[in-house]
Amino acid sequence: MIRPAHLIACVLLSALAGCDRPEPASATHDGPVVALRRLTPEQYTNIVADVFGPRIKVAGSFDPLVRTDGLLAVATAKVAMTPPGFEQFEAAARAVAAQVVDERNRSTLIPCAAAPSETFDQACAQDFYRRAGRLLLRRPLTDADLNPRLALAEEATKARKDFAAGLASGLSSFLTSPGFLYVTESVGATQSDRLDTYSMAARLSFFLWNTTPDESLLADAQSGALGTEKGLKRQVERMLASPRLERGVRAFFSDMLGFEKFAVLEKDTAIYPNFSHTVAQDGREQMLRTIVAHTMVARGDYRDLFTTRKTFLSDALARLNRVPTPTPGGWGPFEYPDGDPRVGIQSAFALTALFSHPGRSSPTLRGRAVREHLLCQRVPDPPSDVDFTLFTRADPHIKTARQRLDAHSNSPACAGCHKLVDPIGLTLENFDGVGQVRFADNGAPIDTSGTLDGTDYTDPAGLARALRDSPAAPACLVTRLYSYGLGRAPGAADRDDVGALQDAFADAGYRLPDLLRAITTDRLFYRAPAPVETRTASR
Amino acid sequence: MKILGPLTFSLATLVAPAGAAETLGFVVTDWKTAIHESQFMDECPEGMNAGNDEYWWRALPKDERARLTNNGTTPPVLRQHMPNHRGPNGEDVCQEPWLFDDPPLLTAEGPTSYGMNLDGTVDGAATAKTCGHEKFTGVDDRPAVDNQLYRLLGCIHGWRSDGLIEVSANGARRTNGLGMILIEVTGVDDRGNDDDVTVSFFRSIDQFTIDAANNVLPYATYRIDAADGVARYGGKLKGRIKDGLITTDPGNLSLPFYGNYAFQTIDFRDFRLELKLGDDPSSAEGMVAGYYGVDQLWEFVGELGWQPTGTYSCPALYAAIPKLADGYPDPKTGQCTALSSAFLIKTVAAFLRHPDGRAQTARAEATQ
Repeated sequence: MIRPAHLIACVLLSALAGCDRPEPASATHDGPVVALRRLTPEQYTNIVADVFGPRIKVAGSFDPLVRTDGLLAVATAKVAMTPPGFEQFEAAARAVAAQVVDERNRSTLIPCAAAPSETFDQACAQDFYRRAGRLLLRRPLTDADLNPRLALAEEATKARKDFAAGLASGLSSFLTSPGFLYVTESVGATQSDRLDTYSMAARLSFFLWNTTPDESLLADAQSGALGTEKGLKRQVERMLASPRLERGVRAFFSDMLGFEKFAVLEKDTAIYPNFSHTVAQDGREQMLRTIVAHTMVARGDYRDLFTTRKTFLSDALARLNRVPTPTPGGWGPFEYPDGDPRVGIQSAFALTALFSHPGRSSPTLRGRAVREHLLCQRVPDPPSDVDFTLFTRADPHIKTARQRLDAHSNSPACAGCHKLVDPIGLTLENFDGVGQVRFADNGAPIDTSGTLDGTDYTDPAGLARALRDSPAAPACLVTRLYSYGLGRAPGAADRDDVGALQDAFADAGYRLPDLLRAITTDRLFYRAPAPVETRTASR
Repeated sequence: MKILGPLTFSLATLVAPAGAAETLGFVVTDWKTAIHESQFMDECPEGMNAGNDEYWWRALPKDERARLTNNGTTPPVLRQHMPNHRGPNGEDVCQEPWLFDDPPLLTAEGPTSYGMNLDGTVDGAATAKTCGHEKFTGVDDRPAVDNQLYRLLGCIHGWRSDGLIEVSANGARRTNGLGMILIEVTGVDDRGNDDDVTVSFFRSIDQFTIDAANNVLPYATYRIDAADGVARYGGKLKGRIKDGLITTDPGNLSLPFYGNYAFQTIDFRDFRLELKLGDDPSSAEGMVAGYYGVDQLWEFVGELGWQPTGTYSCPALYAAIPKLADGYPDPKTGQCTALSSAFLIKTVAAFLRHPDGRAQTARAEATQ
């Protein structure tokens, strides 16, 4: 079976080794390809750091992903490789390879090439490529992987009269190969409904650690131990106990909560002088720290994230929130008192500021964010002919967002969606466009009453309780996690499995580590979808 | 989960529980010598004082003046070594001012000044702690104001609103973290009216947090300067709040000061504070007043006079200080050793962190 991404890349890579013919069905992947997922920028960076060390930096940016079915992780299975997009990967590969072979790093990463040399050293190159290539391609190398790159390295060494430069050429080829840029999932030769062990290793590793499988996982994949119940459980427990798990959990919640928007978050500093990029970065970090501390360290009930008053503050966030810095110069835990509107993760900067306009709050954006990111409920986009003048016009009699929205959402075309999102977002009006607490808007007191799916409340604490008690919240987490792991939204065939996981999550007291364990030890998590349909052009 | 380190939420809440007395913290962002300026400069009927530079070039023959100043095109800052060493044998005019015979300082006149009644008299007659002097009426019409520092400096351009001394000092403090004064008001049951609060003064070891427009941002946390676990400075005054105005009893205390490249610990006597809490809790403005020792004052202005921004004659100022001194007479000579003074201050709300790690309690603040 020919891999479509491989074909695309080969068009672009025609001059590079490994692309003069279709990548063979590897002996290390037993059966046909059933899924391809492009690496995210974070995964690319993590892999480079894990394989070559944190000193090797990944520069540049990659083609953005378009959020699909609530997750960027799902989009990775649907994204096409464009020529300019591939150029970005190629530039990154060349930069990484150059760092790996430069004098500062070569002695530790490629000891046999530590001394400068104009001569190609076959044994040295082979040893380095075998070690690094296994981790980059997430499987042992075949001759078809290795030999063309060795040839390329030898040729480049001769041309440049520099063995290190030759090694870099071969390494660049690995880093631009489809097998690296796309996580390839195949089924076993004998079990066509189940991923082979290398695909299981990759799925596990990217799900829990957001990086490539390590040597232990690959060894168990190679031996087949990962395919056994006992072997799988042993690896899952090892991975759950690893410090890398925090990175994986952070990656998942960054995706679930739409944190890619932080990259373009801007505020009008004339209106919000407290805003800075430090504040924005800290706001993102605050949410992730709070989630990790509550769900993973304290093993708390996931639903309590919506009612917790505990958080973490940096200097910049403490100033923004008008409270003392708990740990000057660093991060420290902080707890807001009863009665304070800052309750639950939905009141944090990472939601209230991220889902606001540059110069004002937005009940609609916030309400939609809660519905879509926290409850997995789809809110349609506004119609293209919507008239915003009612909302934005300067009317001295209209002071609060509720008054503006009332005037705007009375329109029948708008009312349907606004009824879904406004009763949530208007309760969060206690937070201005950068998440600072306020009780009045343009001098008028803010009415924070609202309703969530039949539960009425009067303030952010009431919204917090309603979210905590909403069955949609934990169900959403399970669905999103499952989608995140699979790289696709659950289909009809997955319904029972997701339902069982939701039940198990509830039975375990909504503890995230137990949910991760339940998902990753569930054989259905490794069930293969239908094989990828590939088309070969007849011309 | 090693990245997060200890994650137990054992830290006691930093937010004041409902009903408990609260603490208000402020960092002083602007410190300005209280100079009253009338519309037509009535307080300086003879105009502004000339500076060392002007005294120097006026005394030169025309040709020599043109030569030494390159026909007046060399700016004062680049020729300051000449006016400042205009003694008969090149003596420094600010280091040895008694050697010079400049005209007397032009002092501020008129009935009005910022300030407070420091001596407790209505007419400025001499007391055991003061020398006889003329009183002002306050800018806010309060009676019997003492402010001899204003009389001394009021007609020196550098100290007025379009002069450079205060602008330069406040501007430098924005970014260098020197002379950072913290004010802490404890025991506040009611921000509007409270007859018993304590006001403490500290120095911060943290710099201002400023926004893109160079404004100091409120609600930052400042660590109090300490040695061996004990706060430096740390003077305390008893006080009260009436209609949002914090006032204190007088007391002797020291404050850190930095301005125009001069460091100083000012040892005020009979120091007191007035700080008005406005509707916006993120800032407060007010005035401090007290007796400023003449030796310390000369230590500052003597150094400052050397700079072209000084725009005064060091000898004239040096001669005027003892004449205007109105506080704390020397027991032997009867000569007063301090000047009544007042300074206008602006502050923004801040959180103070004590040397023992105790953070100031605070109530939840809203932006509006």
